Formats: sequence, structure tokens, C-alpha cells
Amino acid sequence: MAASCAVLAIALGQAIPPFFSGRLPQVAGANVLTLVLGDARLVLSNAMLDKAEEYFHGGVRDVVCEFGLGGAHDEHDHKGEDHGEGAEGAVRATDLWDRVNSLVHAQAHRHVEGDEARELLPWLWAACRASPQNIQAYESAAFVLESMLKRPAEAALLLEEGIRHNPDSASLEYSLGKLSVHAFHDFARAERAFSTAREKCRPAEGPAGDADRFLEGNILFYLGFLAKQRGDLGRARAYLAEIEALVPNHVAIRDLRDMLQEK
Amino acid sequence: MSVRLRQLGALACLSVRELYRRKDLIVVFLLGAVILLPLAFFSPFGVAGASRYISEMALLLVWVFSIAIGLGVSARLFPPEFESRTIFPLLAKPVGRGTILLGKYLGALAASSLALAVFYLAYALLLGLRQGSWFPPILLQAFVLHVGFLAVVTALGLLGSLLLTPAANLTLCALLVVGMLAFGQRLSTLAATQTVPGKWVLQAIHWAGPHLEFFDLRQRLVHAWPQIGWGVCAAVSAYALCYAAACLGVAGLIFRKKRF
Repeated sequence: MAASCAVLAIALGQAIPPFFSGRLPQVAGANVLTLVLGDARLVLSNAMLDKAEEYFHGGVRDVVCEFGLGGAHDEHDHKGEDHGEGAEGAVRATDLWDRVNSLVHAQAHRHVEGDEARELLPWLWAACRASPQNIQAYESAAFVLESMLKRPAEAALLLEEGIRHNPDSASLEYSLGKLSVHAFHDFARAERAFSTAREKCRPAEGPAGDADRFLEGNILFYLGFLAKQRGDLGRARAYLAEIEALVPNHVAIRDLRDMLQEK
Repeated sequence: MSVRLRQLGALACLSVRELYRRKDLIVVFLLGAVILLPLAFFSPFGVAGASRYISEMALLLVWVFSIAIGLGVSARLFPPEFESRTIFPLLAKPVGRGTILLGKYLGALAASSLALAVFYLAYALLLGLRQGSWFPPILLQAFVLHVGFLAVVTALGLLGSLLLTPAANLTLCALLVVGMLAFGQRLSTLAATQTVPGKWVLQAIHWAGPHLEFFDLRQRLVHAWPQIGWGVCAAVSAYALCYAAACLGVAGLIFRKKRF
């Protein structure tokens, strides 16, 4: 009896996977993180990203600061803004215990700069690996590699990896285009990236699509810039008109207009 | 006086020997090495040279292991004696109950602090080898405050061992220690956002609970912030001594009135 049950169990174990292929809860070949964490991978990835942000501010948590890794590196977002380096944090001692805490734990924050930025990489690497669908993780890691550590080649490889994992992301294509312009001065590659980004960028109707419309404005700015670089002023003006129609108060309108007025 | 000191010394030595008999230290040391060694050779995105993450992981392990050892040692000081009835020959000796309690506490604290010293020595070597910073003064402050932390934790564990079963004591103490380390700094802010009676409960914990986050210098150590003033260090150490003394005072009252 026991032997026949064992034989039946082994036979079922062999027969079930091919018979119910694609309908079983676990996918063959899926990595350990997917098997163990499932959708919680994104939560873990965001926690790693928060840790990188904490490292960026010298280990100080919950900092009220306009400058950070999370989307703060777009020149159209932060023109002329001061980020208050070393300013005292929002924590105010209200009683004796809070006062002791403020003396023991650093309250003011500072920003990691230059070569010190390599300290952020382990957490950014972990954020990208924990969830390859975390677009912000790829963008932040690429920003650190390119702008802070001056390693554009590694940043480009990382963005390409991000695009492979997130083929619908306009934001990653835009970042790759920007990297091609600023770090490699490879305008042909940049134009391909911006054109693909524009195809992928589909803003939703109403306020829900504001962020995507802003991104599309940025993409159009760069397309206009590249058109001007190759002497196609008519195309550049057409892009300017498109931004004006899409996001009338976009800061890129002024920038592109100034650029077109330059000889 | 010298007799009492000899008695305390003998009782403390027993606790220290007990820790090394159980080989806890070797186990946690091996576990730490298994976790940290692969991390030491990791170069994310092909860029080598990051060291703060490993410093943070090493300190996290030191803290976790010190809590495990401190609570484990202090929570097991009395229950085995009560169960095996070896407390009776001990009480029959010309030693006061207060001396037994203090001796056992000092033994638990000495054993935990010795284990901690070994961890910090290993951490100092790691710090020196990876960052070239050999024994900075802030490391000494971190160690002193960590010993203060252990003084409070072992006193809490000992007090709990006289009131609760070993499992309940370990669970409650671990929850309290981890909770205060994680939220101690934000208790007043959290209390301000709550409504009554939650606000009162949080405020009571804020004022009477052990502020174990005072002893945590990991942020300054890992991110190379300047050391704290020695006056602050002394004040926090005094807080640890007062809190531990209060716990031991309550434990002494319970132990004196305890019937076996």
C-alpha cells in the first residue's frame, strides 16, 4: 500500500509540471527573490532606495531637503534653487529626552560629494536587483554613476539593462538620451533614444498625466535642441510649438526659445 | 566589605564561565564572518571602494548579537536555579539575597561586555583594514555607550526573569529593546499625533521607558560624523546606571519577598 502510494506520488510529481505548464503558481527558472518575495520585491527595492537617500544625506533619515537622488537631477526641475546644505533638520528638542537624542544623533545633514558617492552604490545596486521594475532605482543609480562618479559608460550599461527590463518606460529612454548628449556627445544615439522615449510616452488625461506631460515637454526640448544642432531650425520651432501646446508653463519653452534666438 | 566583594566576584565569575561553557560567542562570531566575508568582496556595478555599507552591516550584527547575548545571559540567571532547586544551597550559604542578585547581575554584565569587547575589537580591525581608520576616539565612545546599553538590557532581563516565564521574558524584553531602538527617538512626535488614550500611553513610554537609542552611535561611526562631547557620553552613561539601578532595586524587592 505504502509502496504504491509512493510510486503514485512520484508519477504525479513528474506528470503535473508538463501537464499544467504555465498554470502553476511558480514559474520554472524564476529567481529566488521572485519565489520568496513576489510583489514585495518592489517594497524591498524602495527600502533600499531610501537607504541610498539616507547615505546621500550623510546617514540622516527623513531629511527635509529639496535635493536628493529621487528625481532631483533634472535641470528643468531645479534651476536656481538652493538646497540648504548643512542646515539644521526639522527636529526640534521639546523635552529632556529629545535634547539628549539631538546631542547623540546627528541632526544636520550634509550631501555626499565626488568620490564619496561610491558609498551609495551598494544600496542602489540592491534596489535594482531587488526589483528590476523599479525605474527610479535605475535612474538614481545612473545619476550617481554618471554625474557624481564620472562613469558614464557604466551608467549607460545600467540604463540599457533597465530598458530591457522595462520596455515601456519613456523615462529610462529619456535618461539614456540625456546621457548620450551630455556625457558622450553622441547626438545620433541621443536622437534615437529621445524619439523612442516620445513614442513610449503616453500621458493620461487630466491631472494623472501631468508628470508624463512634463516628461514629454523635456523630451521635446531635447529633440528641438538636437534639431537645432543639425541646422534644422524649422523642425526645432515645430518642437517648440508642440511644447507650448502640451505644457504651456514648461520651463523648457523659455530655454528652447532662448536657444533658437542664439545665432 | 571585602567579604562581600569576594562573594560578588565569585558569583560574577560563575556567570562569565557559564557564557563560555555554552559557546554562544563562537557561534555568533562564525555567523558574523559567514555574513560579512562575501560582502567584503562585493563591488557593485564594477566599482570597488565602498566601505560604509559593510561597516553598517557589521555594526548591525554587533548590536543584534549583543542583544541576544545580553538578554540570553540575564534571562537565564535565575530560572534554571529555581527549576533545579540549586537556589536552596546558594541561599543556605551566608550570602544575602541582595548580594546574590547583584553578583549574578554583575556576572551577566561582565560576560556580555567581554563578548562585546571581542566584537568591537573585530570591528576595529575591519574598520582599520578597509578604511584605514585605526581605533578612532568615537569607537571608544561607541563601546562605552554600548556597555551602558548592556547594563540596562541585562537589568531588564534579570527583572523579567523574576516576574515572567523565560519564554515570555525573552519575548517581551526583545520587543521592548527593539521597539525602543527603532521608535524611541520618535515617541514624543508620535504621541503628539495620537488622540487620548493612545497619546497618554505613548507619553508614559516616552518618559518611563528605557531610551536605548541614546546608546546607539552607529550613525556617527558609519558616516564619519564628529564624536559626541564626553560630557554627553558621561550623562548618557549615568542614565544607564540609574535605569539599571532602578530595575535592580525592583528586582531586589521581588527577590527578597520571593517564596520558593
